[in-house]
Amino acid sequence: MSERGWDSILLYGNAWRKDPFRSLVNFNFSGDHALARLSRSGEVTATFSDPWDAEIAAGKLQPDFEKAFAAGASAIAGLEFMEERFVTACGTLPVSATADVEELRRVKTAEEIGCIQQACDLADRGYQHFAHVIEPGMREFELVAEVEAFLKTNGAEDNFMLIASGGTEVVGMKPPTDRKFQMGDSVTTELTPQVNGYYAQICRTLVLGEPSREQFKAFEIFSEAQGAAQDLIQPGITAAAAARAQNDVFRKYGYGEYTGAKYTRVRGHCLGLYPDETPHILEDVDYVLKQDMVVIAHPNTYLPLSGYMVFGDTLLITETGNTRLNKTEKKLFTK
Amino acid sequence: MKRGLITWDKTELPPSVFEARLVRARAALAKHDLPALLVYSDVWRSTEGRHLTNFMPYWNRSLIVIPREQGPVLLCGLSPRVYPWIKSVTVFEEIRPASKLVPALLQLCAERAWTKLGVLDLPRLTHEIYLPLAASSLGISDVKLELTDDAEIAMHQRAEQMAREILVAELPKGVGLTDYQLSGLLERAFRRAGAEDLVLLFSTGDSAPRPARGAMLGDKYSVAVALEYRGHWARLTRGLPL
Repeated sequence: MSERGWDSILLYGNAWRKDPFRSLVNFNFSGDHALARLSRSGEVTATFSDPWDAEIAAGKLQPDFEKAFAAGASAIAGLEFMEERFVTACGTLPVSATADVEELRRVKTAEEIGCIQQACDLADRGYQHFAHVIEPGMREFELVAEVEAFLKTNGAEDNFMLIASGGTEVVGMKPPTDRKFQMGDSVTTELTPQVNGYYAQICRTLVLGEPSREQFKAFEIFSEAQGAAQDLIQPGITAAAAARAQNDVFRKYGYGEYTGAKYTRVRGHCLGLYPDETPHILEDVDYVLKQDMVVIAHPNTYLPLSGYMVFGDTLLITETGNTRLNKTEKKLFTK
Repeated sequence: MKRGLITWDKTELPPSVFEARLVRARAALAKHDLPALLVYSDVWRSTEGRHLTNFMPYWNRSLIVIPREQGPVLLCGLSPRVYPWIKSVTVFEEIRPASKLVPALLQLCAERAWTKLGVLDLPRLTHEIYLPLAASSLGISDVKLELTDDAEIAMHQRAEQMAREILVAELPKGVGLTDYQLSGLLERAFRRAGAEDLVLLFSTGDSAPRPARGAMLGDKYSVAVALEYRGHWARLTRGLPL
């Protein structure tokens, strides 16, 4: 704040993007809006739109939430996804502190890493449960219900989860449908449980029945690509290099076209208080990775061999390399 | 988050319901002499867009554009790989990829020679969308719509009925468990019944209802449920003893 000449900053959170608020006040509010005010002297106050949140967190209650912004501030983290009526209530247009706060959030403290490790452990157990309960005839949303129940029973605050099932016609993951699993299906999922505010992720593919030669071949490519990123990632490496290491494996096997936006989104991303933190692992992102950042490298994409396939683990960047925080076996799962 | 079953049961909400809603939206446009209506939609702010088109962004943000004379257009932050699925559960025939939403919107307006646009609940538009839109040459104005009809009320009643039935059946199972464990039981029951989203808050009387935190429930507790069933929310609180 001193560097920027800011006297005070606001950190705004809403029901979707709680992360700016929780980066200062790690309280899991359940109402629509929350706002933390940080003065340069270090004083922190929290204001909530919901009376239950205000009571539990011993914060201020402001049901007419526009009034929470009346005092204005030098800058706001989360400004971009604030409703315009709140921005107007600030009086003069505030500066965005979002990028600065996100940069501060990228390098995790020991306590934050501990939370992410807990989330990773839960992701591992959640995937074990996923692989245990899935069976032909079960519907996608029924499997998700079982996994959600397991994760919540074991302390997850929330979970971001996508799924897909089928064969080479499957081009991406989405929320669960009522499709019934069939023998021969390739079932992909990413589990992203949240513990104490922090998300970790695991991506795995499971085949119902004996995998085909093509499914094995595809998995070998995905495994090699993820391994290439894991071998490379360390402080000083760019996100672009981590993406290129993965994509080059696909290119080596003649599948380079499947590393582009038509077939895939990103080759990984950072994790923390938001499940899809930046920088994204993409070949055009020159951000230099730092020690104590937490990233997932996942070369998830479509291949004509197998349809959409996923494979990825959460990695903690250490002084000299990285540590894989997931313990789940790196294999093509079968049942 | 939205990880339950997202679908469109046309026996439950026939296409004619959405046609009637779009007719009402277009009437509002005609009244204000506007060529199109913009509806913002994200993971949490999905109710208005869902009402008009049945679209629910399970992730990311999107802009829904309802022209006065043509079919609705979705400017979508999600990958084109999921567009066939989106089309199967919404009224959209045209979906445009829009990793940058405002440029995609301005492009659409230029193509259709629109110089102004109505925005549903303009003061609640997110700043990131509002700022470049207000700075553009496009004239934007606030439009209010009545988003309640018989079909909407019936769906809320269905959601409330689901919340009530499952809560009454599952609530007694929490005796002697932690709130985490009861949360798991409720997640399973609600998601299997087709809940898209679920927010659970627990209280044992020592504080306001709050998210599960590993507390023992004893034999006197209450659970507040906010349940989203096919885009329609219901909120219900029940305590034990029932």
